[in-house]
Order: sequence, then structure tokens, then C-alpha cells
Amino acid sequence: MILINYIVAICLIALGLYVMCAKRELIKIVIGMGIMDYGINMLIVSIGFHENGTAPIYTLSDIINGNLSFFVDPIPQALTLTSIVIGACVDAMALSLVIMLKRRYKTTDADEIRRLNG
Amino acid sequence: MSNFYVHFPVISVMGLFLAAFLVEIFGNKNKHVRYAISLIACLGAAAMTFYLIVPVFFRGEVISYWMGGWKPEGGYAFGIGYEIDGLGLFFGLLTALTFLMSVLFSRRYMERDGHLGHYYTLFLMLAGSVLGLVFTGDVFNLFIMIEIMTFASVALTAFRHGKHPEALEGAFKYLVLGSIGSSLFLLGVALLYLTTHTLNMAQIAALISSKGMQPTTLLAFGTMLAGLAVKSFVVPFHTPAADAYATAPASVSTLFSGMVNKAGIYGIIRLTYILFRTMDKESLMLLLSILGALTMFVGVTMALAQHDFKRLLAFHSISQIGYVLMAVGLGTNLGLYGGLFHAMNHTLFKGLLFLTAGAVYYATGTTNLDKLGGLAKRMPRTTACFLVGAFAISGIPPFNGFASKWIIYQAAYEKANLSGNFIYVIITVTALLVSVMTLASFIKVTGAVFFGQAPATLEKTKEVPFGMQLPMFIMSALCIACGLFYNQTIVYVVNPAVNAVTNPAKYVDTMMGEGYAFANGIGPQPTTFTSVSIWDPVFWLLLFVIVTCAVTLVAVSGARERGPVSLPEKTDSKHATFFGCEESLHSHVGGSDLFWGFKKDLKGYFKVMGNLHSGKTNDYALWVVIGVTLITLFTFVFLS
Repeated sequence: MILINYIVAICLIALGLYVMCAKRELIKIVIGMGIMDYGINMLIVSIGFHENGTAPIYTLSDIINGNLSFFVDPIPQALTLTSIVIGACVDAMALSLVIMLKRRYKTTDADEIRRLNG
Repeated sequence: MSNFYVHFPVISVMGLFLAAFLVEIFGNKNKHVRYAISLIACLGAAAMTFYLIVPVFFRGEVISYWMGGWKPEGGYAFGIGYEIDGLGLFFGLLTALTFLMSVLFSRRYMERDGHLGHYYTLFLMLAGSVLGLVFTGDVFNLFIMIEIMTFASVALTAFRHGKHPEALEGAFKYLVLGSIGSSLFLLGVALLYLTTHTLNMAQIAALISSKGMQPTTLLAFGTMLAGLAVKSFVVPFHTPAADAYATAPASVSTLFSGMVNKAGIYGIIRLTYILFRTMDKESLMLLLSILGALTMFVGVTMALAQHDFKRLLAFHSISQIGYVLMAVGLGTNLGLYGGLFHAMNHTLFKGLLFLTAGAVYYATGTTNLDKLGGLAKRMPRTTACFLVGAFAISGIPPFNGFASKWIIYQAAYEKANLSGNFIYVIITVTALLVSVMTLASFIKVTGAVFFGQAPATLEKTKEVPFGMQLPMFIMSALCIACGLFYNQTIVYVVNPAVNAVTNPAKYVDTMMGEGYAFANGIGPQPTTFTSVSIWDPVFWLLLFVIVTCAVTLVAVSGARERGPVSLPEKTDSKHATFFGCEESLHSHVGGSDLFWGFKKDLKGYFKVMGNLHSGKTNDYALWVVIGVTLITLFTFVFLS
């Protein structure tokens, strides 16, 4: 049973959203974005999982012996890899923006970075 | 080789991405090389997209292309497919036109900035991603394109951080909120894969149609819709748009309003009309129409309170997107005609307005309304173009904005009549009122920027070079042409897109093989072309009465209560004849009373809205989370 995976995934997503809404420190907001991404990645991997499934690879001997067992869905894994790469890019970009903001605004507190308002 | 054009979509998308890297490799030193690469890539992609008009619009074909030749096997689509139907091509054309105009404008507009190699790299990636987004037939590919689009947009927003540190702030907010939107979309894609085990849009549409809506599918629909709503900057999610449009270079703002938020609208139409086919549900129509009406009202009222030219235009952009969403959300054929036509017109006139804002910035170095004035004599051509755009967005005949808004009013009115739901009456009135307020706001801008007395600092302002005028002229010409020949535009450009939306069977069949749609319960629907009669005199009269009443009521009651006039600091006897509520606004346009009336009447409202738009990232994130939760819950509860 992989119900625990789904629960953990939803908890991570909710935690990430909470961090983004509640934490004023920019670095923490970026961490929140990361946590949300991890939750979604976990969910996608869990979707492709089958109990007792094997790796989605057939060797030549498997095919000759007719040993074609049930394997896990490979597409969600490919999606997760892509999503991880994208998540890393988002984090890198967000952190570089935080560095620039720190230089120009002399703070990383979201409450003080609000020249654009109204 | 009769159908060589099936390769055009993928070549145009890949060409733009390839050029992005070529610019980075070869164009960092030599400005001619990098501009040549960018221009050729944009021209090539635009030419190929425009060529597709012949097969898709005129002959009614749906073009499909499988990456690497991985065609469906045994009724399951494995490969990544590109599929271009009328709807995709319609938005593809808007995209191509926008980036073409913007790249023409960029050559002179961006010449004073450094690191232009990076600018063109990001520019081409943004163009390629949006084109890929509208052409793709694969949900996950759609997500990837959304992410590339967000990256490129964020980086371009922050491009002028050297001169304007606020750009960094706008970019950061855009990235945080945008990432919530794309993460939600990905969540939806994952849930959709859980129930259908495919990522191909045509097959998903067929499978959902045959299996019916399960709870997981509903949840997937809710999260995807919410994610796309974040991407199209519908009201609780509009805050990053205002910040990003205002701080990005004007050529980029043109891209944002012309393609980036259109991409979100395209996604919503594709999702609701074709992928899940949920537009027959009355509750969803209500949700989308109310969201649209809210968006147009909040957008236009926030625009009234702005002091920055581009931030004001940004709020108008949000407001016009509200019109599109409302019309599309009505779920009627007339609504679709109006919504898609308005989306097209919005690309034209809002692109034009952002270009003129860029021209003003280029010539004066500021976009602050309080520091501008009297540019009409010094920049006559820019002023003329701006007036065309301002008339079009305010919905004054014979410009294009009028034709599409008129259809939208009719559609909302018709919907109120058919359904007997009072909310649609309110929505119709809101649409009319917002149009009047748009006019009021543009009277203010015209007065503040182009007429009145020029401040001493702007005495030596000159007209912008021809390279910047050309795209503005083209856009103005298109605005007027689409307004004068609205009927032809609807028949030849909008009609194929509407037909594609109302006939999903063809979309599915082209991708999955003949008969696949019918086997899964998507029957061939008759093409329903209702001729659009926008000059119905009864409607004319009704509109006229309502607008006049609204204007008189709001403006006159506010103007009467106007407080004592406070003169600018340097008391000048000339200024005494001008109205002086807002300091150093050297405008003497009498019609400005309209604007002041609104501002006075809605004083409490403006205060609340100003406090709500606090500028804090956390607050905006909270808005997004609440909005997203509400949309998801609504779809889950009312659509099952």
C-alpha cells in the first residue's frame, strides 16, 4: 500500500504553500517553493508505482525465457526527472534574484521589499 | 511533398530555440550579428506560422506532427505530438505578430542597454515557448513550455535592474507566484495521468468523454484550471502582472500582454472546451464569467489610481483579459466569437499602447505621469498612435475594440436572457461600466502625457527614430483595419478558431485515427456558424442609455463634491485655470472631470484596494493560495 506516499506528498505541498504565505524571509520563501516541488515529484513517482513491479527494463535473456514480469510505469519517472531539473532551475533563478535584491535593497525581509504597491 | 507544411510548426518553435543559443554563442560581441540572428529567426517563425493560415483556416485541416515519428500504437499515444487546429493557430498568429513587432521595436529601443546578447536569448526563448505552448498536443509538453515561458519572462522582467531596482522585486514576485501556478498545473497533469495513463491531449479528451468525470479527474481539472488562471493573471492572481509589466522594458511588456497572458487564456479554452469538455455545465460558466467580471472591474479601478504610465497600462491589460475570460466563460457561440475577437484586438491595441509607452520612455527617460506632459507637439506620430490605441481600448467606433466589446455585451445580454440568471445582468452592466471607466482613465493619461503643458525638463524631447515608429504604425493600421472590416475579420480569422473549439471530434480524430472520437462518445457536431449582427439598433439604443446614465451618475455626483482646489507648489497663474486636485498634473482637458468624479466617488474603495495591494510577497502568495483553493473546491463541489 502506498497510501503513505500520497499523504506525505500532499503534506509537503501544503507545507510548501504555508511557508510561502507565512515566512517573510526571502530565502525561506524559496525553500517553500522547493518543498512544494518535492511534494509534487513524490506524487508523480508514486503514481507510476506498482506493487512488486520491476524496473522497466527487459534484458535479452528475459525475453528469450519469456520472463516478462510486471514493471512500474516508466513515464512518471521521466516526468519526475524533468520536473526535478525544472525545479532546480527555478530555485537557482530565485536565489540569484534574492542575491541581487539583497545587494540593492540591503535586506531580505519581504515586508520591506514592497516599493511596487498600490 | 504536397503537405510539406506539416513540418512548419515544429521548425518554427525549434528555430526560435536554436536561435536563442546561437545568439548566446555568436552574438555577444557583435550587435549586428545578434540582431540579424534574432530577426531572421523571428521572421522565419512568423512566416511559417502565417503560411499555416492556408491549410488550417482556408481548407479546415488539422495538422498533426509526431516527434520522431512515434505514432499511436494500439490506440495509445506514446510519442509527443504537435497538433495545430484553428484555435491553436489563432493564438499562434497573435504570438507571431507580437514577437515580430517587438523584435522590430527592440533594435532601437534597447540600444542604450548593456548585455543585449542575453536580452535576445531570453526574448527568443520566450517567443519559442509561447509558440510551442499553443502548438503542442501533449499536456506535459504544455507544462514544460509554461515553465520556459515563466523563466524567460522573469529574467526579462529583471533585465533593467541596473537602472530600476524595482525590476528585481517585480521579477521575484512573478517567479514565486508563477511557480505556484505551474506547480498546480503539474499536479493536475499528474492526477490526469493517474486516471487516463496518457499525456496526449486528443486521447485524454476521448478517454474522459468515454469514462465520464471521476473524482480524480475533477480534482485534476480544478488544479489545472487554477494553475492556468494564475498564468493568465485573473483577479486574485493579477498582482505579479502589474509589477512585472510595469518594470519590464516596454518591448517585453508588449510580449507579456500580447502573448504571455494570451497563453493562459488559450490554456483555459483548450482545457474547458476540448480537454474536459465541461463547458456544458452551468456552474462552470458562472465561475468563469464571475472571475472575468471581477477581473475587469478590479483591473480598471486599480488603473484609475495609478501614477505610472506602464503600471496603469498593466492594470488595463488585466481588465481586458477579464473581458475575454468573461465572454469565453459564457459558453455560447456568440460569447466565443466576442471573446476570441477581443483577445485578438487586445493583442493589437495593448501591444500598441505598450510600444507608445516605450517610445515615451525612450524619449523622456521616465514613465511617471506626474513628470510627463505636453508631448503632443514634440512627438506627434507617437501621440497619433497612442490615440488610436486609446480609442480602441475604450471601445469607441470605428476602432476594433468597439466591435469586439459590442459582441461581448450582446453575448452577455443574450446569456442573461436565455438563462434568466440575474448575475448575468450584473455582468453585462459591469462590462459596460468598465468600458466607460477605461475611457475615463485614458482621458487622464492622454491629458497627463501628451497634452497640457510640458515640464521644463521635457522641452528638448524629440520624436523617436523610424525603427520604433514602424511597428507602432503597423499596429495602428491593424487596429483601424480590424475595426473597419470587423465582419471580414470575424469570418476569416475568428470563425475558424470558434469552429475548432466547437468541434473537438476533428481534433481527436486527426491525432488518434479516424473514428476514435466517435467510438469514445465525442460525436461529430454540426458546424454552428451564427452570423453576428453587431449593428442591431435596439441594442445600440440600450447601450447608449445605460452608458450615459452610468457616466452622468458617477461623474456628476463625484464632481460636485470635489474639495477645494489645491494649487501646485510653484503657484503659476496659468495653473489656476487647470484643475488642481492632483499636484503638478499640467492637464487642461475638460473631460478630466469624468476621471475625478470616479476617484472621488470611490474613495473608500480605492483606500481598501490600495491597502490590499500591499506589495508584500507573502500577502500575494496568500491571495493565490486562497484563490486557487476556492477554484478547486468550486469545481469539485459543483461540477460533479
